[in-house]
This record gives sequence, C-alpha cells and structure tokens, in this order.
Amino acid sequence: MGRIYRRICFLRFEGRGAEATQIEFTELKDAVDVAKMGSPSIPEADSILRRLLEEEGERVADAVAFAEAIVPYLPGQMAAAGPALSPLASGNSMGLKAGLRPSGDARSVADFIDDMLAQDRPRAR
Amino acid sequence: MTTATLEKPATAAPSLAPSAQSSRPMVPKAACLLMGLDLGTNKSCVLAGGPGSSDITVSKVVPSVVGYVKDGIVDGIITGNAKVLFGEEALRQMLHVELAVPLAEGVITHPEAARDFMLHLRQLADPSGRSEIRAVVGVPANAGEQAREAIRRAATGVFSHILLIPEPFLAALGYRDDARVRQPGYVDPVVNSLFIDIGGGTSDLCLVQGYFPTREDQISIPFAGDAIDALIFDGLNRTYPNNGLSLITVREIKEAHAYVGPSRKPLEVKVVIGGKSRTLELGEAIGNACNALIDKIYPALTALIASASSDSVVTLLQNIIVTGGGSQIRGIDTVLQKKLADDGYESPTVRLAGQDFQRYVAMGALKAARAARENQWQVLLG
Repeated sequence: MGRIYRRICFLRFEGRGAEATQIEFTELKDAVDVAKMGSPSIPEADSILRRLLEEEGERVADAVAFAEAIVPYLPGQMAAAGPALSPLASGNSMGLKAGLRPSGDARSVADFIDDMLAQDRPRAR
Repeated sequence: MTTATLEKPATAAPSLAPSAQSSRPMVPKAACLLMGLDLGTNKSCVLAGGPGSSDITVSKVVPSVVGYVKDGIVDGIITGNAKVLFGEEALRQMLHVELAVPLAEGVITHPEAARDFMLHLRQLADPSGRSEIRAVVGVPANAGEQAREAIRRAATGVFSHILLIPEPFLAALGYRDDARVRQPGYVDPVVNSLFIDIGGGTSDLCLVQGYFPTREDQISIPFAGDAIDALIFDGLNRTYPNNGLSLITVREIKEAHAYVGPSRKPLEVKVVIGGKSRTLELGEAIGNACNALIDKIYPALTALIASASSDSVVTLLQNIIVTGGGSQIRGIDTVLQKKLADDGYESPTVRLAGQDFQRYVAMGALKAARAARENQWQVLLG
C-alpha cells in the first residue's frame, strides 16, 4: 500500500493529477479495503492506515526535496566518473536510444506505450 | 483549453487517502469493447474486439467523408430519410448531400464532421450502443498537441477512454506476425525496420528499433495521396482544358493507374466527359505526379537511415516497408530500392506491406488497446 501511495504522490508532484486520481480510486482503494478486512477493529485500522499514508507522503516530499538539491550536481559527478555512468553519454536526452534492445519481443507493447507517454509528458506540460 | 479528464466527482472517495477529493475513474461496468482506429484523410479503418482475446469482431474500411442531406430532398430518396450519411453511402448520394471531409493532411479540420464520423465508427463497432468503448487512435508522426487535442475533443462523449499513438509505429505493430515472433528466422518489424506509411494527407516515415520511436525517429511529410491527386488534376487540365473531371474521378484514375519510375506511355484512360466517352493519354501527368512523391520522401528516408546506429543499419536496410494507400503505386518499392542501391547503400530491400495495407495501423491500434495498462488510458469525460 505504501508503494502505491508513493506512486500517487510522485504522479501529483509531476503534475499528472488525473493518473494519480485514477490509481487512488482503483489500486489504492482495493488495497485499503483488503487491509481493513484483515483488521479486527475498523477505527484502529483507519488510524494505522492514515498514519502510514501520511508517513509515505512525507517520505516522497523529502525525496523530492533531496532530488531537487542534488540533481544540479549529478551531471558533473557522473561525467567525472566516466561515460559508462552518464545517462547522457548516448547523446539522447530521453536515454531511450542507447542502443538497440536485444529483442522487441523482450518488451511488451505496454512498455512501448510507457516510452511514448514518457516522451509526451514534457510536451503536455 | 484541453479536454477534461477525470475531474468530476462521481462517487465517494476512499476514506483514508489524505488528498482524496476528486472523482472515481470510469471503471468499466458495461461490456467493454476495444477499438483500433486509423483515422485517415481519405479512408479510415476501424477494428474492434473484446479485451482478453485476439478475435476481431468488426473490421471495416470507410471513406472518411460525411454527407449532410440537403434541405428539400423528397422523402424516400435517402434510405430511412436519414439526415447524415457516411462513407460510401455519402459518396453515392453526393448529389443530395453536402459532403464534409473531417480531416486534411491527417489533422481534423472539420470538428463537427469529425465527431459525427467518430459516432458512426462507434456505431459500426457497437450497434447496440451499450458498450463502453476504449479506442486507440493513430495520429500522424510528429502530430502536435493541437492536432491531438482536436482528436480528443471529437472523441469526447463517443469513447470512454482514448490513447493516441503515432501511425507508423502502429503500422509496424499491426504488420508484426505475433504467431511467428519467436520462430527462428522471423524478422520482427518492431525490432529493426523503417516504415513508410503513405496515406491521403501525409507520408510518415519512422524508424522502429525495439524502443518507442522518439520524435527524431519520425518524419511526417504533408505530401501524399491528396497532393498527387491535385498534381494529376492540374496536369490533366493543362493537357485537356475544361475536361470537367472531378477530383473524385481523378482519384479513381490514380488508384487504377498510379506508377513511379520511367514514363509509361501510352497510358490511355477511358473517361466520360459531357456524356461522351473519350480516351485520354495520362502517362505523363500520372508519372510526374507520383514521381514527385519519391522526390519528397527519398530525402526523409535517407535522413532516417543516416540517424540509425551503425550496428543496426545493415539489417535496417533490409527491412524497409512501404504501407498505406501509397504502397499501391506501381513500382514504388523497386524505385526506392534502386535509388538506395544507386546511392551506395548496402543491399537495400524495400518491400510492400501487402494486401492488408489499409488495415495495419488499425490492427496495431487494436493490439495496443489490448495491451494497454489501465493507467495508460486517458479517460474522456463527456
């Protein structure tokens, strides 16, 4: 449940509110329902879950703040460490075209769609 | 303004989510039907089928045209006294309707007609009108946000969910023979190929190399079937002034006689002008117009080949595939292949996609619809 909620928080930070809401009302709701079913006391379960979600929200906020602080330093550090560590070494800003994948079969069509949506995101903002 | 998605609250939110305040997504309650849609400038293809199966329950190619019946048409002339006709029926009744073409150069230019046309396609796929329809719709390579938004707007209230995917990639996906992907010797077009999809409004070229094509991997040229029609029309009027032939007739002539390469003469075409049968020599007009297409797409083809990695380019050169209506132009494969060979490219092989050329994009779209994860769909609120 924590993992699902972290995903929701990250999506909201990225401005993808509709996707976040969709997950919130499907995956998260299902997970909450299952957790409540397994609990002897509903108020107690509510309290534990609320605390868990608040903690996960704080963890994501901390992670985002940390990333904002560290990202400006990364390119220099990675370049110093050599091309193998640099995601920009391929010259492709998407980091997708580093080379041919061994087989199209190894990736599902849904993975391709994920690639496409990742490319569309900067354009949609 | 962009299309509304998932903003109106519909049911109670889960009680525990701190930020829960908006709507429940449209979880399918009615039967769900998936649709693959190639919304073409001249012809559109719709395929439909249920999720969790590979069956195709509907497969139709429809001319992309809407006919709004003129006022004052006598009862009974139009079947069922319909007010709006679509596709072949609209063309058959062109004397009695105002014809509207929803798209030009692959982009919606007539929003009302586009919406009516989508409703018609929905009706073809789901005559009962009760299913929840999720549609993957092909868009031209490099289609801008405005063009995409126009499709989303036209589809709002017609489909419940939508996903827009560039057409050349869908063509590769549709062309892929899934049953043979694991067979030794099968060359998977999704792994390493270059697709040339020549439609009515645009010619789209795309490198497909095992990842989703980036913008740099796709080139869309606003020169395709319609532009060829216009060139033939102009050439015809220069040679035979006041011939009175319509663009629709010129398109029919093109579809029957189009070719590229050295001039083919005599190429005599019988037409009826002013009620009299005449034979026109069209070898030069058709050849010039179709060869103009080669002049447009060849530089794009070589640019994409140049952008492929050196590790992949030799195999890539053997997997250049021409699809779309333009693949029916006689000699297009051999002319492109010869030009590449003459320019020194290593053993190029240009192939035609084959008889299903009108369906590959929609086939790929239906495959994508079946594979899409729940969170990849865009929910349309109508």
